[in-house]
Amino acid sequence: MSALLQVHGLGKRFGGFVALDGIDLEVAEGERVGLIGPNGSGKSTLVNCLCGTLANETGTVRFEGRALDGLPAHARTRLGMARSFQLPRPFVSMSVADNLKVPLLYALGSHARHLTEAQADARCAELLGLVGLVDCAHKYPRDLTQVDMRKLELARAMAAEPKLLIADEAMAGLSHSEVSDIVALLIRLNEHGTTVILIEHIMRAVMHFSQRLVVLVSGKKIADGKPDDVIRDAEVERAYLGQ
Amino acid sequence: MRNTIFFGVSIVAALLVFALARALNNDYLFFAGYTVVQFVVLATAWNILGGYCGYVNFGTAAFFALGAYSTVFFHKTYPLPIPVLLVIAATVSGLVGLGTGYLTLRLRGAFFSIATLAMAVVLQTFVVNWNYVGGSRGAYVIRPSDLEVFGVKLPYIQYLFLIMLVLAAVSIAIARAIERSKLGYGFATIRDDELAAEASGVPTLKLKLIATTLSGALMGMAGAPLPYYIGYLEPASAFGLPYAVNSIAMPMIGGTTIWFGPLIGSLLLGTLTQIATVTISSAVNLLLVGLLLVGFVIVAPSGLVGLLQQFLRAAAPTRVDARAVGLIMFASYGFIAGLLEVVFSLAIITTSPDSIGMAVAVVGLVLAALLLVSAYGLMTLQSRSPLLATFAFALSIAIGAVHIWLDPNSSVTYRGLGIAIAVAACGWFQLRNVRQLYQPRLTDRQAVA
Repeated sequence: MSALLQVHGLGKRFGGFVALDGIDLEVAEGERVGLIGPNGSGKSTLVNCLCGTLANETGTVRFEGRALDGLPAHARTRLGMARSFQLPRPFVSMSVADNLKVPLLYALGSHARHLTEAQADARCAELLGLVGLVDCAHKYPRDLTQVDMRKLELARAMAAEPKLLIADEAMAGLSHSEVSDIVALLIRLNEHGTTVILIEHIMRAVMHFSQRLVVLVSGKKIADGKPDDVIRDAEVERAYLGQ
Repeated sequence: MRNTIFFGVSIVAALLVFALARALNNDYLFFAGYTVVQFVVLATAWNILGGYCGYVNFGTAAFFALGAYSTVFFHKTYPLPIPVLLVIAATVSGLVGLGTGYLTLRLRGAFFSIATLAMAVVLQTFVVNWNYVGGSRGAYVIRPSDLEVFGVKLPYIQYLFLIMLVLAAVSIAIARAIERSKLGYGFATIRDDELAAEASGVPTLKLKLIATTLSGALMGMAGAPLPYYIGYLEPASAFGLPYAVNSIAMPMIGGTTIWFGPLIGSLLLGTLTQIATVTISSAVNLLLVGLLLVGFVIVAPSGLVGLLQQFLRAAAPTRVDARAVGLIMFASYGFIAGLLEVVFSLAIITTSPDSIGMAVAVVGLVLAALLLVSAYGLMTLQSRSPLLATFAFALSIAIGAVHIWLDPNSSVTYRGLGIAIAVAACGWFQLRNVRQLYQPRLTDRQAVA
């Protein structure tokens, strides 16, 4: 397997606070990677640096062998790197269907795949079916439940047809069965060829989903390997449970 | 294709307005109309950045004045026909828009607005110190008395009005075309959430630059004919506060999310301020606009269009029926009549009237308040509003009758028409299905309890 995403020596500070400290990470094509870590360990900062929302100070991010330094977020999305946000950020003045049309119009545009209106509508319906939001197509985000909002967030990321999907806590606050639904959805997506990085606190979901588990603590990567091995790692236990 | 048809229709509408104004053949109409239509262009232009993208621009006057001053500059160096001056003004203001955008669009919210305000001050200082275009003394631009257009001899003011009408048609067609395009979707995502927009592949910086350039260019075009219109241009008036305030207030009051919001807002406020100029004084204009803006921001933050959409969603969710249309018409009538009543009553008060005049003015203000409140109540489905509206319209019938009785010579037709509409309205509010619409219903909280 070739590496889709290569992160080397990634560092980010906020003033005197070191949020990320020399992160090295490789994600192979088609892999399902779980990323865990206590609150404030730098998971979301890592996502923001990967996706171009924040600029990293040191290190490089390579996607399909191409260095992404200085590339703005929208350009990275067009290259095939999509994310969902930890707190859903829907476009509030648009209907659910129109929310999905945005990436269809903008993220796919550069792949020389210009959709006709009918094709875009069909693709919207397909995506809504995939996440189970068909009935909500014409609703506005303010009328959605928290669960549906998270599904919309995922659907919008998927609409960009990413090669790599980074799901930032897509399941926080969901019920047991809803978590299972979303995990199943992500696995299905992965089977269709999308590489997925899942950032999550719900260990049941992470353990079920991940082929590989990466642990961040205080901006440093302290473990990377098979999920069962990683959670038995002494350092990981110490980070989560204290000494 | 649809955009071309719409563009054709708006041009035809503009020409019809011009033909109508010609038929009425009143010079004042052209003077007043020019100002109103100029604000249609400014409000539409402001809304491209302020309404669609959500970036509030306080520097309208700067772009507008740049257009005007580029005309002054060419008037002195090499006189050119106005259509060419429009293109030049669009280029100058568009470039300044692009530059300002590039420098300021990394700022968000209030900081962007402050930066645009600062830009206006900088440009004004620049013009004040530029002697060639008149500096702080101002510049005189003598306009020709008339002009031949396609073999027709037009008084110059009519020519200016025609140009402004066409410009308004063009800017509205542009605004509407944007709304329905990929660009419109992109603009809306910027307004809603820029981070999420970037994550969805929207190149936000590029789109914002397109918006500032386009918006600036249209504002500049609106300013280009100004020197010929007023004949004497000085920095303090060209960069004046009224342009900035009006071009914010008009879209906000009309509604910012759709092209006809700024159109409605500018026609309404523009006409109202023209009437106030004639009946009271030009100084009271900004007061009226300011009060209306405050009122709307408090009770109807999404403007008249927002109120209307909200009403239609609640009253006629599936199909627009006669009941909804009637209510909208009577509420709009009440709203406009209320505003006019305010202006006329204030006009009486400012002439320091005798006790009878004072009484008429006070009754007028009470009636105005009743009409405005009941129009708002009707649109927001307040349960007692048909009763209140009936009372307000009945009062307007009584007052209209008294006016006719006191002064049978003046404006009997208008008063009579008003009474007829008020009678129809009172009847309409008694219809059973209208009353049903306003029956109190359980709010969500009560339903839960």
